[in-house]
Amino acid sequence: MKGSPAGSDDRSAILEVEHLDIGFTNYGRRVQVLHDVSLSVGQGERVALIGQSGSGKTVTMRAIIGTLAMPPGDIAGGNIRFQGRELLTLGKSERNRLKGGGLSIVLQDPLLSFNPVLTISRQMDDIVRYADVRAGVTRSKRRRRQHLVDTLERVQLADTERVLSSWPMQLSGGMRQRVLIAMALLNSPSLLIADEPGTALDVTTQQEILALLNRLVEDGLSLLLITHNLGVVREMADRVYVMEHGRIVESGARESLFDAPSHPYTRKLMASVPPLYGERVRKVDNTGSTPLLSLESVTREFVSERPFFGKRRAPLRAVDQVSIDIDKGDVFGIAGESGSGKTTLARMLLGLTRPTSGVVRLGGQPVHELARQSSFRRRLQIVYQNPGSSLNPKRRIAQQLAVPLRYAGLTRGAIRSRIPELLEQVGLPQSHASRYPHELSGGQKQRVAIARALSVEPEIIVLDEPTSALDVLVQETVVELLLDLRKQYGLTYVFISHDLSLMRNFCNRVAVMYRGAVCEQGDTATLFDAPRHAYTRALIAAIPVISDAEEARKPAVTRLEREAVLVSTTG
Amino acid sequence: MIPYIAKRAVSLLLVFLGLAVLIFVIARVVPGDPARIALGPLATAAQVEELQQEMGLDKPFVVQLGNYLSSLARADLGKSLLTNRPVLDDIRQALPATLELVLFTLLLQIILSIPLGVVAAVYRNTWVDNLSRIISLVGIVTPGFVLAILLQLLASYQFESFPVTGRLDRSLDFTADVTGLLLVDSVLAWRWDVFLDAVRHLILPATALAMAGVGQVMRITRSSMIEVSSRDFVEASRAYGIPERVVAGRYMLRIACVAPLTILGLEFASLIGNAFIVEFVFSWPGIASYGVRTILQKDLNAVIGVVLVSGVFFVVANLVIDVILGLVDPRHRLRAARST
Amino acid sequence: MTLLASPAEHEDAPLSNRAMAWYRFSRNPAAVVGAAIVISVILAAVFAPWLAPYPEAAGSQVDFRNRHGAPSLTHWFGTDNVGRDIFSRVLYGYRISLGMVIGVLGLAVPFGILLGLLAGYFGGRVEWLIMRFTDVMLALPPLAMALAITAVLSPNLINAMIAITLLWWTWHTRLIYRIVKGQMGEDYVEAARLAGASHAHILFRELLPNCVSAISVKVTLDAGFVILFGAALSFLGLGVQPPTPDLGTMVSTGSEYLPEHWWESMLPGLAILWAILGFNLLGDGLRDMLDVEL
Repeated sequence: MKGSPAGSDDRSAILEVEHLDIGFTNYGRRVQVLHDVSLSVGQGERVALIGQSGSGKTVTMRAIIGTLAMPPGDIAGGNIRFQGRELLTLGKSERNRLKGGGLSIVLQDPLLSFNPVLTISRQMDDIVRYADVRAGVTRSKRRRRQHLVDTLERVQLADTERVLSSWPMQLSGGMRQRVLIAMALLNSPSLLIADEPGTALDVTTQQEILALLNRLVEDGLSLLLITHNLGVVREMADRVYVMEHGRIVESGARESLFDAPSHPYTRKLMASVPPLYGERVRKVDNTGSTPLLSLESVTREFVSERPFFGKRRAPLRAVDQVSIDIDKGDVFGIAGESGSGKTTLARMLLGLTRPTSGVVRLGGQPVHELARQSSFRRRLQIVYQNPGSSLNPKRRIAQQLAVPLRYAGLTRGAIRSRIPELLEQVGLPQSHASRYPHELSGGQKQRVAIARALSVEPEIIVLDEPTSALDVLVQETVVELLLDLRKQYGLTYVFISHDLSLMRNFCNRVAVMYRGAVCEQGDTATLFDAPRHAYTRALIAAIPVISDAEEARKPAVTRLEREAVLVSTTG
Repeated sequence: MIPYIAKRAVSLLLVFLGLAVLIFVIARVVPGDPARIALGPLATAAQVEELQQEMGLDKPFVVQLGNYLSSLARADLGKSLLTNRPVLDDIRQALPATLELVLFTLLLQIILSIPLGVVAAVYRNTWVDNLSRIISLVGIVTPGFVLAILLQLLASYQFESFPVTGRLDRSLDFTADVTGLLLVDSVLAWRWDVFLDAVRHLILPATALAMAGVGQVMRITRSSMIEVSSRDFVEASRAYGIPERVVAGRYMLRIACVAPLTILGLEFASLIGNAFIVEFVFSWPGIASYGVRTILQKDLNAVIGVVLVSGVFFVVANLVIDVILGLVDPRHRLRAARST
Repeated sequence: MTLLASPAEHEDAPLSNRAMAWYRFSRNPAAVVGAAIVISVILAAVFAPWLAPYPEAAGSQVDFRNRHGAPSLTHWFGTDNVGRDIFSRVLYGYRISLGMVIGVLGLAVPFGILLGLLAGYFGGRVEWLIMRFTDVMLALPPLAMALAITAVLSPNLINAMIAITLLWWTWHTRLIYRIVKGQMGEDYVEAARLAGASHAHILFRELLPNCVSAISVKVTLDAGFVILFGAALSFLGLGVQPPTPDLGTMVSTGSEYLPEHWWESMLPGLAILWAILGFNLLGDGLRDMLDVEL
């Protein structure tokens, strides 16, 4: 991977941020959000700014682009220079001239970045048209259109006519991301700022998007990447800045950072990325266990809605002939990307949905029969992905923990003594019992969700992406908690996720789902060390890892195989 | 687009059917004998019985309902006990006046509230914003009849510039026979003196009627614009360098106007209701006046007719708003297609 | 081994609910003003017999020598066409207005909330039935219907209240329905069901708390509009009948003596405005405070 030599005194620096201090006033209190932040991006360089949520990376980005809301934010000091020009003192119209021109951005969430009621061509044309106005140039409609098509082709979208005439919601996530990049490229920027590119997408799609960005850099673009993902940084950056609590704690060339991180925070970050290979992989075992939960040729079909006029479409098979056996004490991982059917599978395990054909059995008995009994609820519980949504924002923690206990038949007194126990088990202070969810952090909320699932002493807990909404540092503590609880209470977990590296360090057995069917399953070590199915291999190969050694051990995937199994985002 | 409109029209037709049945049920279920009520306490038993037979009140409930619905289908609303003419004719005579007033009011509301709301949002927290908020507050808070009386007081007694009652100066000899709407017909007949005079007569009652709605809609427009402006894609479009006024106009307004339009549709119901008061105060010869008179006289058929017509108004107005929303926001079309 | 939540998880503790709400309230002068006005109206209504300078004015006592008296130091709001002190009548009129508010909202709001909860939660046929019915009721122009009902049922206070109540619940149903529908997609509802919670528990213990903010704002705003509506009905002669002191009737009778004796209709009108203003400002303030999207 190429890159220019590191050094913030590079004379061809395109972007220079020096000693930036930004504060934020909320409810009458002012908080210092950025402390003395300095970074630079050189010509043709790929620079990454990495930090977890709350690190200040988004604020920095907003300050550079100029979309920082000035009350309540304020810039207390520092400079931002783009191509030698000071941005902070520019007037509004001057700023506008730069936007969509020299400096361009690609925002995080593809869907939210589009105006939902305008077509793609309309939105793209606006960008071009007003850039022309600013430059004092006029281009005919046809020439502008051609420019749109050319740019879309540059991001490797095939059916440009269809894309242009679509509304944002009609395109897939991957295509939207490409269109976003195209929109950023329309006015030939010199610097592209990308905010968490591909994070909202499947890891295989993300891989394609990152490759696209690399290709654009080869053509002469400079890139500033804002992300929380170390693996992405390793693949994409020449130089790296690490942010914590509004400060740059470490910076340097990619190689030196990954080989020998100096700051304790950086080292902590590196350590918390779950390894795919090598000694650091956590081994989870389950010896001598009995079968507990089984799926026998389970299929679930959905009949799609009929459009007003038109033929009836064939039913959608969300889950296709899946057979899985889960033993007591297993940490069983179900891996898959969006659309793989894993969520539907989870719902069938819990008895919330009935299979169209096939049976789900718990301890030999069919789940849909058991689900009618109240005792079933004590045996099977769930922890959801998003603690913000799985906890009722308007009820106190203690009240919410009490609900499953009440319906399990405990007396009030018993409940009152059980709640402090539960809080202690998940490592939360007693004071949290009387708080509301919004007073807790994400990790703390998830612990409450775990406590709630634990309260009825279930046999099995289904974990639906329990750490996806959390920072990588917090993830690790939650996983440790879960493993600890498993040992204490002899729990069985069903872990549903798209995060394979986490699965590697948490599960003892894994099933990979692809388009509703299980394409491969087995114990974790075997699956990762010697994956057989093309999709499994493609999935593992797409994981961003943080060491060259790991990269070398990844399975090989031929181009033909890749094209066969991966959903193309090029339209 | 067409199937969308058709679907909406069908569902609204169902609403109208439900409305008709409901009105009928209320009219029959309410205690008291309609015939006796209409004739008053001094009528003899024989007279009451005769009226009962004439009104079909002696037949079983279901038969009455059936007759009612079938006559509705034929657009027969029965006879008014007060005027002794078919209710439909009475209404047809009185309707244009109300229609004109209501449409003029709507126009006024849209012209005033949406631009003001947008301006208030764009110039947030400046004097413009505060002024608009005061105006909208006054509009919402002032009772319609108080405003009507106040306007009459100020405009005609103090300043003597606007007339207090009626639609047209008696000296101007003109009848609106094409559409019934003075504003339209006068232009068609090229009688600009009539047009101006009609406008002068319209301004006061329309303002009194409009103010409450203006207040609500302006406020909703403002808050809707503010909410939309903080959305990601707006930030994105600014970052792309699209000028602020285009961002405000094309990007924000199209989305932001969904909320005010919806409110406008709901406001319509109270608009009709408030029209009753305004027509009463300004002696405006519309169906509301007709309604009030017949209600006080307990003329059942006429009352039912008036309520039905008001309901139709509401239903049609909401259909129009739905269609406009469907044009503006493609997601609305898809959402509506999915629900019943 | 207990694993305490690591320090890295601790973000700056956000202010508690109450602190945030209080901060917003104190920044909102309109809300404070509104609260003050509402309190003044409530006090006036409750303590009318003691506050009114001429309590007998609330009845049918006439004093023809004092007719059409302009506002003065002895009669702050002047006297009406039969010589009664208008200020006293206004105070008593507030009793009627507030009584109407309590009566109407006390019935319509719980009913509306219940229907909205049921429609949003159960979906399917229940939802269809309830919401279609609500749609139809909403299509009825409220004033027209109220007029019709009071006309047929003979005009008095109770019937006016019945008429208004019969139509008022629809707005609450719609509001609650929308909120509940929005909440149904949230995981906590499913989590409650998986915990074995009964329908009643989910409806009233889980979903309803999420509606409280919106309900509070709406009820406050509604209070003002009920007063408005009731006054409109009596203005047209179909609500409270004379000689009971009602603000709307006062405006109506007073309007006959415009413009010379303007105070007889304008000041009661202003009194109505005062009450509505108070509830409106307070409702808006609450809306900002509770961060509600109405």
